[in-house]
Amino acid sequence: MPNPPELTPEQQKELQEKLKNMSPEELQEFQKQQCIFCQIVSGKIPSKKIYEDEKVIAILDINPAAKGHLLLLPKEHYSIMPQIPDEDLSHLFLIAKQLSKKMLQKMKVAGTSIFIANGLAAGQRAQHFMIHIIPRKQGDGVLPLNEQLQDKEMLQNIKTAVQPKLLNQLGIKQKEPAVEKTPKSQKEEKEEDNDVNLDDIANLFK
Amino acid sequence: MGCEYCEIAAGNSKSLILHQDAEIVVAVKDTSVIPGQITVFPTEHHPIMELVPDNILQKCSIMANKVSVAIFEGLDTTGTNVIIQNGTAAGQNRPHFAIEIIPRRENDGLDFQWPQKQLTEDELGYLFNELTEDVPEEKPAIKPKKVSGKDNYLLKSLKRKA
Repeated sequence: MPNPPELTPEQQKELQEKLKNMSPEELQEFQKQQCIFCQIVSGKIPSKKIYEDEKVIAILDINPAAKGHLLLLPKEHYSIMPQIPDEDLSHLFLIAKQLSKKMLQKMKVAGTSIFIANGLAAGQRAQHFMIHIIPRKQGDGVLPLNEQLQDKEMLQNIKTAVQPKLLNQLGIKQKEPAVEKTPKSQKEEKEEDNDVNLDDIANLFK
Repeated sequence: MGCEYCEIAAGNSKSLILHQDAEIVVAVKDTSVIPGQITVFPTEHHPIMELVPDNILQKCSIMANKVSVAIFEGLDTTGTNVIIQNGTAAGQNRPHFAIEIIPRRENDGLDFQWPQKQLTEDELGYLFNELTEDVPEEKPAIKPKKVSGKDNYLLKSLKRKA
């Protein structure tokens, strides 16, 4: 991936001033202008396009995990997955399926990995949401997932913390007499107070 | 032996179900790379992504996104990885298509970064040609130049019919 040019301290200061005074719309526009992948979408930066329709493009990664590694991205600028409308996200996955199938047939590989990183902590490098589609061969050492046994209490704690948020996302009201035996009221109240602002995670890239 | 995910869907498992309907299961498995990992999979048994019907795959992707948000909110994480291991060569170790959503925090000890390869322009050009070329639906039945004398009559007649 090409790096943006280095700025002098004066230029950085000027830039920070400029950013501070921008409206959210202006800021979004500014992010798009700075985004390398938006420039690939618009053709300002050349790329090897494998697939394109009105919503998405897929290009060959020039620094791949394996030969044939593709980056599938929405043409619209989104930083992280939660910002993407359902319709567009499900379209991306359908195209990922088609490209994966093509990979299995053309690259003579026995598997593919689909990989998404949301947020810097997840290893996201670019400020433009993308789905990696990676051709895989036995023993290539890419993306090892070493699962370990988790104890029962841990599983229950995770369920208690995540399930209400998920049901809320799905618009399902949870029955009041909670099935869980673990006490949760205090913890839950605390969590309500410091709900994560997804915009903060997305804006870490600016 | 039964499929582990089919067993989870049937309720015969130590894994905990967060949501289930006729088409999708969302579960906390009893194994994970890090506590908080959540798995989304179709209720019906499909081994790999290419065999999952489009409408089910679309629903799974939307569900994975909602699970990702629920993890951000419920576990107070600053990132998530969404991973599909498709095929045993990709490390898939259960014969049932699934999307894994993994909570991530700074310095959590996980590192999914792969060593990056450098490709030459020639290699990129070759891959581009390979992947942009349409996959033939049917293999050409005959390669005329390699035909031995013995098959000639049969192949000629096949050609004529075609």
